[in-house]
Amino acid sequence: MGAILEVDGLAKKFGDHQAVKGIHFAVEEGEVFGLLGPNGAGKTTTISMVTGILEPTAGTARIGGYDIRTDLDKAKQLSGLVPQELALYQTLSARANISFFGRIYGLSGRELKERVREVLEIVALTERADKPVETFSGGMKRRVNIAAGLVHQPKLLFLDEPTTGVDPQSRNHIFESVLRLNRERGMSIIYTSHYMEEVELLCSRVAIIDQGEIVALDTVKNLIGMLGGGVLHVGVPRADQALLDGLAALPAVESVRLLPRPATPPPAPGRESTKEPALAAGGDVVKVVAKHSQQAVVGTIGYLAEHDLPLTSLEILEPNLESVFLHLTGKKLRE
Amino acid sequence: MKILSIAWKDLQVLLRDRGAILELFLLPLVFVVVYSGAVGAIGQGDKDERIALKVADLDGGADAQSLLAGIDRAGGVRVELIAEAEGLAQIDQAKLARMLVIPQGFSEAVAGGRPAEVRLVSHPNAGPEQSEAVRLVLEGVVSDLSLEAQILSALERMGEMQAGQPGAEEIWTVERAQAQARAQFARAEGEPLVHVAQRVPAQAGTSQVEVGMTDAAVPGFTVLFLFLTAQAAARSVYEEKKAGSFRRLLAAPVSRMGMLLGKMLPAFVTGLCQAAVIFAFGIWGLRLLGLPGVTLGAHPWVTVLVVAVVALCSSALGILIAAVAHTENQIGGLSSVILWGLGTLGGCIIPLFVLEPLLGPVPKVIPHYWANRALLDTMVRGLGLADVGVALAVLAGFALLFFAVGVWRFDFE
Repeated sequence: MGAILEVDGLAKKFGDHQAVKGIHFAVEEGEVFGLLGPNGAGKTTTISMVTGILEPTAGTARIGGYDIRTDLDKAKQLSGLVPQELALYQTLSARANISFFGRIYGLSGRELKERVREVLEIVALTERADKPVETFSGGMKRRVNIAAGLVHQPKLLFLDEPTTGVDPQSRNHIFESVLRLNRERGMSIIYTSHYMEEVELLCSRVAIIDQGEIVALDTVKNLIGMLGGGVLHVGVPRADQALLDGLAALPAVESVRLLPRPATPPPAPGRESTKEPALAAGGDVVKVVAKHSQQAVVGTIGYLAEHDLPLTSLEILEPNLESVFLHLTGKKLRE
Repeated sequence: MKILSIAWKDLQVLLRDRGAILELFLLPLVFVVVYSGAVGAIGQGDKDERIALKVADLDGGADAQSLLAGIDRAGGVRVELIAEAEGLAQIDQAKLARMLVIPQGFSEAVAGGRPAEVRLVSHPNAGPEQSEAVRLVLEGVVSDLSLEAQILSALERMGEMQAGQPGAEEIWTVERAQAQARAQFARAEGEPLVHVAQRVPAQAGTSQVEVGMTDAAVPGFTVLFLFLTAQAAARSVYEEKKAGSFRRLLAAPVSRMGMLLGKMLPAFVTGLCQAAVIFAFGIWGLRLLGLPGVTLGAHPWVTVLVVAVVALCSSALGILIAAVAHTENQIGGLSSVILWGLGTLGGCIIPLFVLEPLLGPVPKVIPHYWANRALLDTMVRGLGLADVGVALAVLAGFALLFFAVGVWRFDFE
């Protein structure tokens, strides 16, 4: 199968701020692709450019082969957007909202009616279809929001943070809908989130985006595999080259690196640091990428005791996308 | 098709907004009633409702007095004296609709049986109905005066002839006297001794001379509230941006121009519906309330055309407001200035015939002025398309300007 979306050097500048810095990636047909990054990383800006909401400062993208710079309308016809906001008309019914967006994509008559019925079924809102959206719960509104993006049966669906402010039941329903659309209709989905669990659960491949750049792009398995058996942050009063070499030589250790000391002053009392926690505590922090985390912990503690070096802190990062993100950017996802 | 879909959706949203419906459709009716009824009635309890006719009596003689007394007796017209120069100046300034001038030597000429003339000087935009009423009264009184003077003159001549000719009783039989009287009557009708000369000074068509406060209420508030739809259009764009549905529309295969036209169209349709409601109320509702009703003028389709162009101008103004105002407060503030400030300066609340002498050409830079002027011309003065052509062209120009600047300044991102 070919690529449904090719992003080629896409960049966006707002005044002096470079929000997206010339990114490249491709999404295969039938793939659920995750864009993972903290708020302000550039996910929504990227989607806005690809869907024609924002004009890129540089670069381009192709949806189903249609270049957004030259064939934007054809590209738009192939894609659907479920924005982060509840982009609905609150006083209109769910059916009226979905029908409106269907008409905007050129549907009419019996076909429109049938498609509206179908998507209402997908999001399990058939019974409430004729009630005003303003009477719905947050989760139900999210589902109508998704239905409005599905009604014209796009080949590529952009789901931008679709679970923000959603109760667990609706969240599960959204996950089921996404997987069903992908499985049964072969719909390609780009799913942006700053919830790593959602991305891990739904996406086959993930691009990790930070400060407008893609810092990693791979399958979830391979990204987590980057951390081997996990990562240890080992705090010591002072780390020298001998310590680093000694830890690196341990059998359960993959690699060792001295983390830089924070350049910024420590955060105000009561506020969480945005940097790796151990770095804020003072002293040095050695980052140990383990082949097997348990053995690496035992080996490291033993090595420090043997060399009469005090252990000031120890943080064990389980191998998941959160720790991958921390490993790659030095920041937490949910800042 | 997509433009229509956006417009239809916006109308559906509007129809579910009770506050907006009250503001757009009920509030203007309240204003019209208050203005037509309460404000119009102020001081009318013992007010003489006859048409006022200023008279410059340069003659001051018995026949001039007789003419004025005749006008007064005829009813419908109230005589008020004025100096000729002042009257002419007021007509020139559009403060006075018309004036009757009785020239010096009028009484002497009438008494001597010689033709005499009175001049009715009117402003070009004097109300045609009032002018016609004044003319009819004046010609009736003048005709009576002519007949009286000519018959008296004939009888005097007969008396003189009888006195000079003994045995004249044989010449002036009853039949001959009756024939003479009939001939004099016919002559008085065909060649009246006193002639009413009408004069309209050549002037640029300054608007508004004869329209009263109550006449101006329906056109004025129609214009004022038609421009309120600009606020509704701007608010609709703002709400879409706030909710995120505007981004969603931008991601759909709809052109940006199509989106703006789709936002303009409901404001335009709303404006037409507003005008229909206000006019229906003005025609039938006011009468049901015992107040003087209005008509759509001698050429109703011209009135409809004016309303359509005003609605277009207002909806384009909505796009401009949406482009320059970025918060709800800014939209509210700008709309208030446009609705009440420009509406007042443009003659929606205080009629143009009061404002123009005070503000000079200032109101002419405001679309409301042209809208008011065109509606007054069609609805009150009964003028046709040719007479409101300039106002329509200016309003269309405003619409184009508002839309062009709105599109230029619109922040789609």
